[in-house]
Amino acid sequence: MIVCSRCSKENQDHYKFCLGCGAELPRDSAKPRSVSAPPPPGSSTGRTTDAPPARAAGSGALASAPQMEVDPTPVQPAPPEPVAVADPLPPELAPLSDDTSPCPHCGAQVPENFRFCHVCGHDLHDEGVGAGSAVAPEERVSAPAVAEAPAASLARLILIQPDGSEGEAFPLSAGPTLIGRSTGGIFASDAYLSPEHAEFRFEGDQLVVRDMESLNGVYIRIDPEVPIELFDGSVFRVGQEILRFEAPTAPDPAPDGTQHAGSPHHGFVGRISLVIGRDATGNSYPVPPQGIHLGRERGDVLFPEDGYVSGLHCRIHSEVGHVFLTDVGSSNGTFVRVSNESFVPQGTFVLMGQQLFRAEY
Amino acid sequence: MEQARNYVCTECASAVPSGHKFCGACGGPVPAEAQTLDTQYFGAMQMPGKARLIVVRGDEAMGEGLSYLLQATEHVAGRDADQIPFPSDTWLSPKHANFLYRGEKLVVRDEGSLNGVYIRIRGSSPIQVGDHFMCGQHLFRVDATPKDSTGPAPDQTHFYSSPRRPSAFRITQVLEGGMDGIVCCAHEQTVEIGREDCDINFPDDVYLSARHAKVEMTGESLKLIDENSQNGTYVRIRGERELGHGDYLFLGRNLLRVEVTA
Repeated sequence: MIVCSRCSKENQDHYKFCLGCGAELPRDSAKPRSVSAPPPPGSSTGRTTDAPPARAAGSGALASAPQMEVDPTPVQPAPPEPVAVADPLPPELAPLSDDTSPCPHCGAQVPENFRFCHVCGHDLHDEGVGAGSAVAPEERVSAPAVAEAPAASLARLILIQPDGSEGEAFPLSAGPTLIGRSTGGIFASDAYLSPEHAEFRFEGDQLVVRDMESLNGVYIRIDPEVPIELFDGSVFRVGQEILRFEAPTAPDPAPDGTQHAGSPHHGFVGRISLVIGRDATGNSYPVPPQGIHLGRERGDVLFPEDGYVSGLHCRIHSEVGHVFLTDVGSSNGTFVRVSNESFVPQGTFVLMGQQLFRAEY
Repeated sequence: MEQARNYVCTECASAVPSGHKFCGACGGPVPAEAQTLDTQYFGAMQMPGKARLIVVRGDEAMGEGLSYLLQATEHVAGRDADQIPFPSDTWLSPKHANFLYRGEKLVVRDEGSLNGVYIRIRGSSPIQVGDHFMCGQHLFRVDATPKDSTGPAPDQTHFYSSPRRPSAFRITQVLEGGMDGIVCCAHEQTVEIGREDCDINFPDDVYLSARHAKVEMTGESLKLIDENSQNGTYVRIRGERELGHGDYLFLGRNLLRVEVTA
């Protein structure tokens, strides 16, 4: 892949212009390398982290959406192993070495000339490149290295790239692992991540994620055809749309017994509102007891301009006084925002900031 | 109030001058009919300059087709009112509205009711943020677009919102019971309401026209436009409003027509 030097967006090898900002991409960088290596943290420190990647260009903000349904662009066929990747380094830096050695912290194969492990950010400098020594990492550690000592990783968060292919893997150890903009690595450049965004830990053999009161939350993809209960304030994501469920709240009748006039209805179990700001919602849709469907082309609530929403995406309905959200087999999935904590079963897709991961353990 | 001239007392046959109620000669009374030459109407409803209200769609208890002649100077309508009572309409405040004459003009005044008084607009009407209006059976409110709150947090985290498009204002449906229902942000400068192909559609409201009404922003001002709908578009009055012949009003669930004979 090619990392844009202007906005840090990752682009596919054959792209001539950056998907994120439109800047021309260096041509020679498309030359394949035989090393599966994204930019080492050393090279990413030069990224501007204060400006969010442009959203208007589309897929940049859409980590949740591996593949746009209406996008006719063919997906790159999976390259042969080892994965061929573009040289992401600026020209002034040395090209990647073809020789690799395992990172002492996470075990990833690291090119010989890297100072930092490209997977876990472990500082290889002091101990010599690829020395494989078991020296504890320094205090200034990035995300996964927060765990004490080089603990064996029990799980991995695998980055899912906008084209649907798998990217880097982040090891998660048994102890709490903090992820956020302050923990470095690929997270440092994601302006939609809070400095301390989420924490992963194991409870027995179950992975658990905790939202560290982050601004944008942690979202977990729900299984198709499995209803998930919604409560007042529940937030979920469909394509690019963030929606909040609100339980019905009627004002009391006036003291003189006069009732509030309004449109006739047969009772709504709540409504869903599009979140367009911290304190602002946009369009809202009441949910009748028999439920509503959401989709791009079919259903009661339509998002015709959101290519990441399936024709028929999900539905909301009520049963015995409870309201449920069900994905009806959408391509890109329906994600619910984690309220405080949630189990993360094996294989679950997790959305944080602009990035989509799959938890493997 | 001219008295008939040449009135001759039936008791003593003396002539009684105009204006006298008793005969000066014998003290016999002059009958009331003879005291005035004014021609009476067969019924009070024929009286000119007085208005009446016809109940077009009404309170279950009082029925439809009732009419109220507004003969006095003030006429209070409400759930508990004596003059124009609608006892079974729970959308009406006990004292809801007052129909009164200011000089020759009939005026309706909202008596601080909970649900207001709605008048059918003729063509179009200026409207403001906070105003309510009715199309078919549905009630709506005009709302302002909330201030943008997507800027970065103090820790420089950017807020991820759903894709936004510029919107000049929004229309919120008000549901029976007082909850907010549908919210529709204006697409460009208008929100159109009807049964089909509009921004807000109610395919099963038989009182709506296919394209019923729209709210439009021109420059800085908003306008409510009735699109020649069959049943009309009604706007909630602020304070009081002068009424004319043929005006329609909604008071709660009651639809009234104003008739003023010239």
